[in-house]
Amino acid sequence: MFHTTFYLRRLHSLVGLFILGGVIFEHIFTNSMAMGGAAALNGALAMMELIPKPIFLGIEVCAIAVPLLFHAIYGVYIALQANNNPRRFGYIRNWQFALQRWTAWYLVVFLIWHIGYLRIFTKGITGTPISYELLQNLFTSSPITTVLYILGMWAAIFHFCNGITTFCMTWGIAKGPRVQNVVGVLSMCLCAVLCLITLAFMGSYFVM
Amino acid sequence: MADQKTVRLIIERQDGPNEKPYTQEFDVPYRPGLNIVAALMEIQKNPVTADGKKVAPVVWECNCLEKVCGACMMVINGKARQACCSLVDKLEQPIHLAPARTFPVIRDLLIDRSVMFESLKRIQGWVEVDGTWEVKDAPIQNPYTAQTAYEISHCMTCGCCLEACPNVGPQSDFIGPAPTVQAYLFNLHPLGKFDAPKRLNALMEKGGITSCGNSQNCVQACPKNIKLTTYLAQLNRDVNKQALKNIFNH
Repeated sequence: MFHTTFYLRRLHSLVGLFILGGVIFEHIFTNSMAMGGAAALNGALAMMELIPKPIFLGIEVCAIAVPLLFHAIYGVYIALQANNNPRRFGYIRNWQFALQRWTAWYLVVFLIWHIGYLRIFTKGITGTPISYELLQNLFTSSPITTVLYILGMWAAIFHFCNGITTFCMTWGIAKGPRVQNVVGVLSMCLCAVLCLITLAFMGSYFVM
Repeated sequence: MADQKTVRLIIERQDGPNEKPYTQEFDVPYRPGLNIVAALMEIQKNPVTADGKKVAPVVWECNCLEKVCGACMMVINGKARQACCSLVDKLEQPIHLAPARTFPVIRDLLIDRSVMFESLKRIQGWVEVDGTWEVKDAPIQNPYTAQTAYEISHCMTCGCCLEACPNVGPQSDFIGPAPTVQAYLFNLHPLGKFDAPKRLNALMEKGGITSCGNSQNCVQACPKNIKLTTYLAQLNRDVNKQALKNIFNH
């Protein structure tokens, strides 16, 4: 008997935490260079350009596109199985459960726009390299875009950090209520820190 | 008795499994220590709504009246709980009663909870005692886990945890926290543990433990204070180990 559901669920969990978590950290790390100004961010982007094109494309497909598509498609299937009820049962974990699904829905739409516009259209089709100037122009020309991007980053960060908590439960790492609580608080602290960093580098485009 | 104190009950009713739900209000004479089952009995004696209409008495289920059997579980002021131990003095009024719609409604507050029995059969919620072997004295319980086993054995399959769980319902095939955690009870048993791999494999199937989304409503809803989330995490651990055995032992 091969437990397909079991392995898909566990793979979904692993992919989300380690691969997509890595993608989030890479994004926050590279984008936070914007706080150092145009030279710093463009320098970081140029560093990535040093990776030979075929290898870079391979990484993008194998470490981002495929895991992301799997996580998103199977995640939609999981989200459809929930009947969110935080209004009836307003416990913190139940709110986090509902938020995990609501952020997921937002991220599906946001990532289609984000990847479709910046990676596929701008960089892929028009061949315009991503640069500090391009991003600054993108954000400062439209406050709505900026707000939607900040919300997108926050949604991803929350989804990832709450994912750490549920990962520890799903894999039986944190068993009792005390350790589960500690893990929950620590991952929400990480969530707050990453959200503030995001706000800082997004804001830096407007002050510099 | 014009100055008789009354309690207003707003009840979500339904005439049959496929009928449309509707609400009716009833006024029940108050007395100290009145609970929801006793209030429903008052309605049964005199099934007249607050606006004076004589109606069919409200149907519900109850049995032990001491929070042991689980039969009178219903949604009281939005929360799934036992009607027998819900004291009117401790509830916000008017009191709203509704059937637990996670389960099929038969009539009014009466629900069909047989799905939980089916789930218990699925996880092998019993100990195999009869066989070709000689039946000797009962084996001793492990004194270190007896306390835990005793706690989980309090489960009365009332269904509060299933009603509170966002992942249990017609949209999902999750068997729910109560039947899942029962697998751990029987895995702890000195004879039941022989069938532990069977139970863990059953939990790996579609609708098993993998459908748990960690909302942790179950542990808040459990009227018997069973640490459901702790045992779900333990079962997750056991199921992962079983998966490794399944992969590497063959």
